Amino acid sequence: MRHLKPRKAVNALIMTLATLCAALGLFLLFIILFDVLRNGLKAIDWNLFLRDPAPPTMAGAGGLKSAFLGQGLLTLTAALIGVPIGVLGGTYLAEYGRHKKISRAISILSDIAVSIPSIVIGAFVYAILVNPFGSYNGWAGAVALAVIILPIIIRTTEDMINMVPWALREAAFAMGAPYHRVIWGIVYRSAAGGIFTGVLLAIARIAGETAPLLFTSFNSNFFRLNLSGPVPSLTVSIYQYAASPYENWVSMAWAAAFVVTCFVLFLNIVGRLAIKLRVKG
Amino acid sequence: MDLMTVDKLNFFYGRHQALKSVNLPIRKNAITSLIGPSGCGKTTLLRCFNRMHDLYPGNRYEGRISLRDQNILSGDIDLISLRSRLGMVFQKPTPFPMSVFDNIAYGLRLRKVKNKNALAERVEKALKQAALWDEVKDRLGDNAAGLSGGQQQRLVIARTLAVEPEVILFDESTSALDPISTQKIEELMVELKKEVTIVAVTHNMQQAARVSDYTALMYLGELMEYGDTKSIFTRPKHKMTEEYVSGRFG
Ligand SMILES: Nc1ncnc2c1ncn2[C@@H]1O[C@H](COP(=O)(O)OP(=O)(O)OP(=O)(O)O)[C@@H](O)[C@H]1O
Ligand SMILES: [Mg+2]
Repeated sequence: MRHLKPRKAVNALIMTLATLCAALGLFLLFIILFDVLRNGLKAIDWNLFLRDPAPPTMAGAGGLKSAFLGQGLLTLTAALIGVPIGVLGGTYLAEYGRHKKISRAISILSDIAVSIPSIVIGAFVYAILVNPFGSYNGWAGAVALAVIILPIIIRTTEDMINMVPWALREAAFAMGAPYHRVIWGIVYRSAAGGIFTGVLLAIARIAGETAPLLFTSFNSNFFRLNLSGPVPSLTVSIYQYAASPYENWVSMAWAAAFVVTCFVLFLNIVGRLAIKLRVKG
Repeated sequence: MDLMTVDKLNFFYGRHQALKSVNLPIRKNAITSLIGPSGCGKTTLLRCFNRMHDLYPGNRYEGRISLRDQNILSGDIDLISLRSRLGMVFQKPTPFPMSVFDNIAYGLRLRKVKNKNALAERVEKALKQAALWDEVKDRLGDNAAGLSGGQQQRLVIARTLAVEPEVILFDESTSALDPISTQKIEELMVELKKEVTIVAVTHNMQQAARVSDYTALMYLGELMEYGDTKSIFTRPKHKMTEEYVSGRFG
């Protein structure tokens, strides 16, 4: 019985430490969120979405319309590039290539790729899509974001497809369906909710990214539906305005940060809720 | 008349030989039941008939299975059209994640039946054949997952019937169902043999005795005994058959 005592003490100590660390982490997170909330709510008004930046001397008259549009365009283009490739790639891993060693390797590499710092991806895309063309451009920004979501979408698609029971595929094969019809009509239909959730969470992941854009599409004051030059970016604007000496620019950065945070939070909540609902139903 | 004949069939899962020189006739418009202790190769034999084993690498057939004088084990058989001639109903119900109507129409759409009226007509016919029409006619648009287990199994039968197969293969298709659903499906099988030929794997001796016309007993990958059901159950040739059908073995 005596040797139990030190074990219990160690247990208590570790538990206290772990709880303290968790509390500290949460505490810092709440301070950040609270700060964004307080400063963001103070600065936000409709002009943020309706106007472009005013000179720093004209207090309170500007907005970040172009930056919102540009960020939206970049994210949308990234999704248009990354989602089809990711879903098809994940489909290959889980279906056509499920017995192949290469699939296993791609799957593991994707897991690793999920945690590559985004700035590294930015630098990589800079080297292949910015440097050779001699200017920052929107395509490079969209590609950088697409590279970030690609492994996330590949892996969620693979996991979701693997959750579809084999018996269901066999039943479709037994009806005389060719493989692509089984995937399209049966597997995707069963896994659609999960894949959609994965896409949402992946978009949430890039919606607030700054580093990969800093090297690629950079920033611009005016939005045009054209990705061959620099594209206005909300996150890069936040980065630049927050570091500026002008009070109205700084408060605009707060407002924008607040909007981005809410958007990411919203996507995450919707995504997790969808997961929860599906696990239950 | 024999619709199918199995001739010196060997089957291998990789190196493991699961069927050993099986010879068996399948009579047209009759119910043939496959019985035998667990692991004797009933499912393996059934899945040779619609070449399900081709889905997985390393599986190999030797010998011959003829369907109307055509060797369905030959390499140039089109599996897609073969599988529309032999439908399969599994142990657990496998409704597709779509509406009741779309489930039944699945095979028809695969075969390019597009006309709305033709689809609706054949869906209704299949559901009536499977004795499910009255229960689902007001909820054809609902997701099939909402049906009861027994209804789902009849849905799968209707889905199979919709493409008018020549043979339906049942693999312990009532073992997951309650007695009433089981009875409904047994009645259905007897009704259906007017139009199709049925091969049914079962562990339920009473079921085999009740519904089937011919019975084949398998043991360790070999066919032990085959005959009309009555003689298998009343005066079997082998001692083992007698012990098995009377429940003293396996
Ligand atoms: N995919 C497989 N790979 C390798 N061996 C298999 C495979 N499936 C079945 N077997 C083996 O083949 C033999 C026959 O199996 P089968 O499933 O046909 O038996 P069964 O008669 O249907 O049994 P049960 O009544 O339990 O369903 C068994 O020895 C089994 O272990
Ligand atoms: Mg079996």
